[in-house]
Formats: sequence, structure tokens, C-alpha cells
Amino acid sequence: MRNWRWVLALLLYFSIFWRIEAFKFHRAQKTERISGSAGDVLEDDPVGRLKVFVYELPSKYNKKILQKDPRCLTHMFAAEIFMHRFLLSSPVRTLNPEEADWFYTPVYTTCDLTPNGLPLPFKSPRMMRSAIQLISSNWPYWNRSEGADHFFIVPHDFGACFHYLEEKAIERGILPLLQRATLVQTFGQRNHVCLKDGAIIIPPYAPPQKMQAHLISPTTPRSIFVYFRGLFYDVGNDPEGGYYARGARAAVWENFKDNPLFDISTEHPTTYYEDMQRAIFCLCPLGWAPWSPRLVEAVVFGCIPVIIADDIVLPFADAIPWEDIGVFVAEKDVPKLDSILTSIPSEEILRKQRILANPSMKQAMLFPQPAQPRDAFHQILNGLARKLPHDRSIYLRPGEKILNWTAGPVGDLKPW
Amino acid sequence: MKQLTALQQQGRRSNSFRSASSPLDATVDGAIKSPATVFWLLLHGLCCLISLVLGFRFSRLVFFLLFSASPSPSTTTIYSALRTTLPTSTAPERNASAGGGGSRVVVGRHGILIRPWPHPDPAEVMKAHRIIERVQAEQRSQYGVKNPKTVIAVTPTYVRTFQTLHLTGVMHSLMNVRYDLVWIVVEAGGTTNETASLIAKSGLKTIHIGFNGKMPILWEDRHKLESRMRLLALRIVREKKLDGIVMFADDSNMHNLELFDEIQNVKWVGAVSVGILAHSGGSEEGGLLMGESDADEKDEKRSQIPVQGPACNASNNLVGWHTFDTQPFIERSARYIGDRAVVLPRKLEWAGFVLNSRLVWEDMEEKPDWVKELDEIGKDGEEVESPLSLLKDISVVEPLGSCGRKVLLWWLRVEARADSKFPARWIIDPPLDITIPAKHTPWPDAPPELPTSTEKVITIPENNEKRPTKSGSRRKRSSRSKRKHSPKVLDEHVSTKNAGDN
Amino acid sequence: MVSLERSKKKAHLWKKAALHFLLCFVMGFFTGFAPTSKASIFSGQATMSLSPTYSPQAQPVEAFHQEKMQSFNRSLLVETEQAEEEHNHKASKEMILEEEKEEVEELDIRRLVIIITPTSTRNKLRGVLLRRLASTLKLVAQPLLWIVVEQQSKEESEVSEILRKTGIMYRHVVFKENFTDAGSEMDHQRNIALNHIEHHRLSGIVHFAGLSNIYDLGFFEGIRAIEGFGTWPIAKLSANKQKVVIEGPICDSSEVLGWHLKKMNNLTDATPPPLHISSFAFNSSILWDPERWGRTSSVQDSSQACNSLGFVRKEVLEEEAKLKGIPTEDCSKVLLWDLKI
Repeated sequence: MRNWRWVLALLLYFSIFWRIEAFKFHRAQKTERISGSAGDVLEDDPVGRLKVFVYELPSKYNKKILQKDPRCLTHMFAAEIFMHRFLLSSPVRTLNPEEADWFYTPVYTTCDLTPNGLPLPFKSPRMMRSAIQLISSNWPYWNRSEGADHFFIVPHDFGACFHYLEEKAIERGILPLLQRATLVQTFGQRNHVCLKDGAIIIPPYAPPQKMQAHLISPTTPRSIFVYFRGLFYDVGNDPEGGYYARGARAAVWENFKDNPLFDISTEHPTTYYEDMQRAIFCLCPLGWAPWSPRLVEAVVFGCIPVIIADDIVLPFADAIPWEDIGVFVAEKDVPKLDSILTSIPSEEILRKQRILANPSMKQAMLFPQPAQPRDAFHQILNGLARKLPHDRSIYLRPGEKILNWTAGPVGDLKPW
Repeated sequence: MKQLTALQQQGRRSNSFRSASSPLDATVDGAIKSPATVFWLLLHGLCCLISLVLGFRFSRLVFFLLFSASPSPSTTTIYSALRTTLPTSTAPERNASAGGGGSRVVVGRHGILIRPWPHPDPAEVMKAHRIIERVQAEQRSQYGVKNPKTVIAVTPTYVRTFQTLHLTGVMHSLMNVRYDLVWIVVEAGGTTNETASLIAKSGLKTIHIGFNGKMPILWEDRHKLESRMRLLALRIVREKKLDGIVMFADDSNMHNLELFDEIQNVKWVGAVSVGILAHSGGSEEGGLLMGESDADEKDEKRSQIPVQGPACNASNNLVGWHTFDTQPFIERSARYIGDRAVVLPRKLEWAGFVLNSRLVWEDMEEKPDWVKELDEIGKDGEEVESPLSLLKDISVVEPLGSCGRKVLLWWLRVEARADSKFPARWIIDPPLDITIPAKHTPWPDAPPELPTSTEKVITIPENNEKRPTKSGSRRKRSSRSKRKHSPKVLDEHVSTKNAGDN
Repeated sequence: MVSLERSKKKAHLWKKAALHFLLCFVMGFFTGFAPTSKASIFSGQATMSLSPTYSPQAQPVEAFHQEKMQSFNRSLLVETEQAEEEHNHKASKEMILEEEKEEVEELDIRRLVIIITPTSTRNKLRGVLLRRLASTLKLVAQPLLWIVVEQQSKEESEVSEILRKTGIMYRHVVFKENFTDAGSEMDHQRNIALNHIEHHRLSGIVHFAGLSNIYDLGFFEGIRAIEGFGTWPIAKLSANKQKVVIEGPICDSSEVLGWHLKKMNNLTDATPPPLHISSFAFNSSILWDPERWGRTSSVQDSSQACNSLGFVRKEVLEEEAKLKGIPTEDCSKVLLWDLKI
């Protein structure tokens, strides 16, 4: 049986070969979307299609935290607060938990800010745990399915992993208690431990009134080819570069600072919103997380988003035809960005602009106060409604337990 | 046999082998049979090819491992396509995958890709500009005026020092107009080549006509003459039956390009606000006069510049006219061209009006009854102040530009003195009567002799005894030596060079 | 017996096959090390990866794209080979240009013109004159980049509103400092614009266009021909005066021979050279790549950092030999007027 060796060697070759090819096949797969015609899905009215029960929690889980730091109302993760306010007065809310399709726990886990206004989610796991403990002991509904018909808003960078450093977040993984719940999160990276299957991806919060105030006439000629304002290097956290934005933003600067077509800078001008409205392409590269508020701004201001974030999962991807309105550039293709953009036929550009001009697309990106039809709140509800009816199997048999209440780092198990 | 089964399973896993479905035993038994041999040969060839590719891949892997190990972990690394997917030795990278689904989430340091080829690529820059143009054209067609009318611009002019400057300004405004445009240029004292060559540069449809009569030197007479010139232009509109919107683009005007969109809204007669930039003459003594006279209070931003034009009430109906209050300046007002005093506008400037050209057409059917015949007006030497003279009823005027609140053009009359000289067509022909001695290098050295109060227009610093080319080469040499020495020692340099030349 | 022999034969067959595989593997291994490998593998990768990332569109887009990328790689290949053979940067660049030209024949490739315009609130006519200059610049053939400088204001400035409507590609640069002297404010603004060019390493022909300038459109085509420095006659006029002053070079063809004399009063050595700010243009690379122009890195010197303008003026004055007169017909035509109001 000398042939053994050869066959083994051959097998080995084959396996190496396939592993190399594997990622290529992977890349070829297109992002799946539920619906073809985006407009229709965006127009959906969730009222009547689902009922949400809002748990009544002590104010220390929400209102008190907000009182401590009102900045939470304006930062990029404010969706958790506005969603709560929205649900309280929404017609989909039900006061009878027995007829509810979804249960919502109003807990503001991202509202703990550093002096600079950046969220520090260190206490969030304990807070979340405490809230779940509370609802599971006061109401029967959590234990019925161990949270499978509950949804939580966790808009922070790495969602329910509750850490701002990606490496640490991956180490931690999604909070064990939330493993059966549906998460509504900003973070979106395909095949990431912090992105839960079936999560609803929302856009980051951008101030709707302020953006409204800076709207200029659509006749303003678009005279910027590529626009970007923001960091290229995060010198404070990543002095050598290459970690931040996986080097993509640095590559944008290094390759295109000398290109007159690229209006890129770190300085935020007072005319930032106006400038976006007179740009054809707006760069939306990843930062520490794949998404960026520019995505929202670009859509609202009709500037074609150039999405540079490999394997990004985009907000409401089942309702918004991102491929039609945006341009996707792989991180490794950043040095070719100019050729990629200039070789898009102008008819294609005009088509994208026409689709972008659709008001329901803009509406779906915003969390206006008060809520308006077709806005992001409604899209979240639509997303939840599309998951109905719940599968019978989510309900546990009496006495059955799946969640492990003692899993996770010891620090997380301390009372809040 | 075990291993062969394994091989076959392996083959099964790969899509390309799926067609080979013949049972293994049969192949082994019937090794002599031709289809089986062919299959084996094919398989053999395929495996050979695969090994070839594998070898290639492997070598690349080795190559990159070697390659990436050598450079220091600087922030900039050489562009390589495989960089991001291959582990580098410089930084710890970790594959964090959820459920082993072939994730490419790589946490850790990445190279900063910098392409080695030069940029920006000029061809791509041109392409991008073409895209921008296309996008802007689309914006115009989408939001712009549908079925635009032709713009008929009327400009009275005459040859003088400031003509090129003023006319170029107006011409550039007209060249930016996106609608069909006919430019009627009426030149006092007959057409000249000078004006013709200037307006030919515009590439616009132009009608260049002469007007009998020289431009007078007194401002008052000029206003009258200009009115008659504009009426001549209107007669041409009537003769040629030009269809469109007539506007009066004086060469003393500066335009906001939105004006040309705004006038498309006119049905018969429209009026726009004109910003009056009253100029007090010599730049030394004050310049512009503003802020003192009646301004449109509704628009505080513009309150600095006096405005002439339609006045509206709260419900956007025309109630009267804002006029430039000339009272404060009447004492200091300019009487003749070049007078160092304030040049005042007329009561209402023509430039503030636009007309539908059909108003001046003969035998127009649906011509409104409130309009006078063109021949009737200005017949008996009476002065035609403004296009309002054409109308029997002034209330029909349509106020434009948010009912006159928006200033869409400005009026600024500055001229050189009437006797000022300028090179014909602005081509410098070195005059022969050079009295100033040679002066060579440019600015750093002080000239030995200064051109004093002699009002020489142009002075040529060449020594008139020498041929230009010769002295040129010498001068260059000297300047080179200057650089070698010290550019700052100017006096010394001047003396050496003078010595060298003379 | 038969089976034994057969198995022997089979073993032999296996050996032969394995040998073939090994041979092929080694062959592949060494082709991987071949010198051109870098470019070739790169090209394969590029065409393969680009289509999936940007491909949800219709087929023609993709085809277009790939075609483009392939030519791209071709040019890259040319470039790397060139670089290996000789370090003549220019030659390879030109080759690529040639190739690109073939690809996009209809595209008329022009040099970038960078226009710098300082604007001060002191000038009451700022808005009006800015519009006039804008309508001139809008007519200039692309590519043109207009850098407009202004003092930062709290509310939206008139300048940004005017600029936005022009459709010209511009950069609106602001500064915070306050100035009492109009002249130094203007110089500061110009320096800020030059710093922008230097920071971004923009490459083009830089010209300072004041708001009081009036241009013949031929002017802009003229300055595109400048390699290093260029100069031209400028006519200075003011209202109600008899005098027209022409400043600038006297040329033979495009070679600068001498200068029209400017009206100079008590000019002493201490005063800066009376070089009109709008009477010259220069290649911006002098700001960020002085070595290319055969000089020590003077702009980068700390003293120069805040005074790029002074540096440029000095350069223009010293670089007479490289100075090009415009228009090339003896620079006898006035294409630029400065009308002070």
C-alpha cells in the first residue's frame, strides 16, 4: 500500500487548493435581498401587522441615565432612546402582553459617555443582565421562550458584544443572555461573532432637523467629484496606522490627496452638508467599525455613497437596494478608486442619482421627531413584522432551559 | 482500493469531476478499454494541471512570506494584491470567524496600500470632468425651464479705453447662458473692427450694427444716445421678427447668472432690481457710495447697496418703484466722462427691464392694447427714459426676482478719461520715441532714473541703440552672474551691470 | 498471479503519474518565481476581484470596467519594467500617457490650472466681482481648480453661496486670524491657499486672480503652456484717469528680454520688488518638490512655511531663464486687465 502516500499527498494538494479558492467563491456570492422592488417594501405600513409590548422598567434603566448625560440624545447611537419614545406612542404598542408578538425592554445601554462623548459600554452587560433578570422574574414572557420573541436595541459599535475594541468584542462575543433574542444593531460585518443571525441592521442616528435646515436647492450644480471629510489616521488610538479602518482611510489619503477630483480633508467645514449636496460621490469608508454616519448623510443628500468596507452588512438591506444606489469598492482596491469611479458610465451615475432622489430612501435613513411614515422607526417595525409569525419551536417546554445564566466573564455577572 | 475510493470521493466533491460517474471497479478492470483510458488520461492531465497551479500558488505563498518578512513595519507598504489576505509577519492577525463560515474578518494591522504608478491620471481627470458636465446638464434638464425662449440681449457700446474690459465682462455672462441667445451689439459711430473682433470671440450669434452719431462726452447726452441705440436694436428685432425675451445687457452691468433663468418667466414686460454701485470717481477719494440711500429694508443683507427696481407690497403686487436717491449726490454728480465725481444712474435704467419681443412686432395678432407702436415713441425728439415709455399702462409690469427682493444685476459706470490712450486692440507695439534710458533687469534693481511725472503710457527698458536679441543674451548672462553672487546686493549689481552694458 | 502483476503495473502507473504531478508542481513553483510574476499575478487578481465588488449592474458596465482595468495593468507593467531598466520617471509617465491617449482619443488632455482668489470683507463689491470672475472661470476649459480664501464667519457666508451656484470645481478655504492691514491680509490669504496646494501636493499651474481682474479667455490657454514660470503684460487701469499702465515682460517670441517699466516712486532697496501679484504663474510642484527644480528644499524650511508667497516671488524673480513670456507671440497682447474700483 505504497500508494497511500501519493493519494494522501494528492489529497493535501487538493485541500490547499480549495482553501485558496474558497475565499474567492465566497466573494462572488452576492448580498442576498428579500425583495426586488425596494420602494414597495419601504412603503409598508407596520401598523396592524404586529403588536409590541413595552416592559415598564424602573427609570434607572433609561430616563435617569439620560438625565445624567443629555448628550446621548445627539450622538450616533441615540436610536435606542428615540426608539423607546417612539414605541410608547406608537399604534403598534399593545398594553396587553398576551396578544403581543414582540416584547421590548427599554434599556439605554449605550448612554454612558466619556468626557469626549464616546460611549463606554463597560457597565452595559451588567445593566442588560439586570434588566433581563427583572423582566424574567416579574413577567412570564421571557421564560416562555427565553427571549426569542424579545428584541433589544443595541446600537453600539459591536452591538451586544459590548466592547469598543473589536478584538475584545470578538473575545467576549454576544452577551449569553441575548443569544436567543432579536437584536437591532448598527454594526454590520458579515460572518462576525458580534453580528447575530437575523439581527435588524439600522442606520446610525443623524440629526434630522439639522440636516433639514441645511438642505439646498436640487438645482445646485454638483461640482465635486469625490467628497470626504473625516479622519484618515486615528493618531490617538492607532499611532502607526493600519489598524484604523484596516488601513483603507490612510490609503485614500496617501493615494488621492494630490488629485484635484478628490475633495478630501480632515477639517469639517461649516458647509459640510451643503458640500455633500454638490458632490457626485461621497466616500463612506469604514472606521473602527464598518459603517459610518456618512452613509446616512450621503443618501439624504443624494450623493452616491462609495462604500469601502469589505463584507459590510448595510442597514435595512432587505428593503434598500444598496447595489443600485451605491458603489462598492473593496478595501484592497482603494488605490484604484479614481479609475473605478471614472470608468462608471455617466448613464449609470445618473440612474443611481435618480434612485437616490426617491424620498422614501431618505426617510428610511432618519429618526425624525416626531416619527413620520416610512422613517427608520417604521422600517425597524417592518423588519420585525417580516419575522412573524414566530416559529412554534421557539417556545420552550415547561422546565426546559437553554440559556446559561452563569456564562460569560465574571465581571459581567456582578450585580448592577 | 480504499485509497482509490477516497480519491473518487475527492473527485466527486469537485464539480469538474462530477461527470465521471463510471464505477471505479470497472475502470480498474477494464484498463484496456478505450473510454476508461481516455478518462484516466484526462484525469491525469487534469491533475498535472492542478499540480502546476498548486506549484505556482505555493511559490507565490513562499515568495510573499519572504517578501513581507523583510520590510520594517513602516506605515506605508508596497501595494500588493495579496497583502490583506495573507498573514504578515509584522503584525499579529487573527481570524475570527463565526461558526467557521469562511469569514474574512481580520483583526489586526493591515498594510496601507499605495500604488506605485504616477497620478492623478490626466485622462481620468478629463473623464471625471466629463461626468460632472453630464450630471450638471442632467440637473439643468430636470429642474430647469422647460421650453425656454430665446434670449435677445441688446448692448450699446463704442470704442474706448474701458470697452474691452466692460464688454468682455458682459460677454462672459452671456456665454454662460444655457438658452438660445442672440446678441445685438449697437456701436456708436459705426461698426469697428475692434469691436467686431472682440465680440467674435464669444462664439455667440451676434448682430453687430453701427449707429450714426458719436458718443458724446456729457453723461446726460450719452444716456439719450444710448436710449436711441437701444430703440434701433428693437427695430431690428421687429424687422427680423426675432422671437424671445429682449434684455438690455449694458456693458456697465454685472450679472448674477440666475437672471437668465428668471427672465424666462416673463410673459410681456418684466422688471428686475438693479444694484446701483454709484462710484465717486477717482479711487483715491472714496470709491463706492453705499448704505446712505434708500435700500430695500426687507433684505438686510443687501441693504448696503442701493437698489433700483420694482417695489412690492406684502401680497407681492407691484406698487411702485425703488429709485436711486440722487439728491445727496446731485452736487457732486459727474457731468462728463472722466469727471471725478459720482456717476448717477437715470431714473430707471433700461437694464432693469425685459420684454417679450413680440411686443415690438408689427401686426401681431394677440398684441395687447396697452402697448404703443415702436415708431410712435421718441418721434418728436422726446426722450425715451426707459422701456416704460412703450407702455400705456404701467401696472402690467411683472416684477421678477422674488418681487424685486432679489438683486440679479448690478450697475457700475466707470470710465477712463475720454482722452485716455490705450494700445489699439491692446497689442503692445513698442513706441519709437523712447526717452527713458535702458533698464534691464526686472524688479529687484532700482532704476537709475525714474520715469517722473511724464505721463508715458508705455516705456520700454531696452537701450534703443542695441538690437533686442543681443542685449537680451547679455542680460541673461548678467542675471545669471547676479544669482551666483548675491541677489540681495542690489546696488552693487546695478552698477556692475550698467558697467557691462554701457 | 494476474492480479499481482496488475497491481504491480498499477503501482508503476501511479509512480509515473506522481512523477508527472511532481514535475508539473515544480514547474509551477518556478514560474511563480519568474521576474514578471508580480505584475502578472496582480493582473489576474485585479480582473477577478473587481467584477464581484462592483458588479450588480448591467453587463456592459462590467465589460467596460474589465477592459479598463486590463489596460491599466498593461500600463502598470510598462511602468514597472521601465523603472527597473532606468530610473527615468518622466519617460515611463509619458509612455503611459501615450497609451491612455490611444484609449481615450477623444479626450483632450490639458494641464490643471489652479486659480487662487483671496476675498476680503473690506471689499464691498466682493460678491459682485466674485460672480463676474466666476462667470469667466466657468468658461475656461477643464480641468481648473479654483481656491477661494476667506475669513471664517459664523453664519453662512455670501461667498460660499455664490461659489456653490457656479458649478466650478472649487475649494473654499477659510482662516481665523484677524488683520488690520488689508495688504497683509491678502498675502496671508494667498499663503493659506499655497499651503493647501503644498499640503495636498496638487500639481498644476498656479495663478493669483484678484477680484478686480478681467481676463481674456485666451489667457488661460496661454498659462497652460507654462513649464516652470510664466509672465505676461498686465494693464492697470483706474476710473476717471487718463493713464493706462502696462507692466510686464518684453519678449522675443516667448523669451523674456526685458520689462516694461512700472511707475516707481521712491523705490528703495528695502521695498519688496514691485512684482504684480497677478502678473505671473508658476508650476505648483516648486512648492512641494523643490528638488525637481534644482534647489534645496527651501519651502520646507521653517521660515518659509508660513510665507510660501515670498518664496514664490523670489523664485520667479530669480528664474529668469526659465521664465516664459505669454502669449508666445512676443507677449505683446494684453490678456489681463486690473481695474481698481
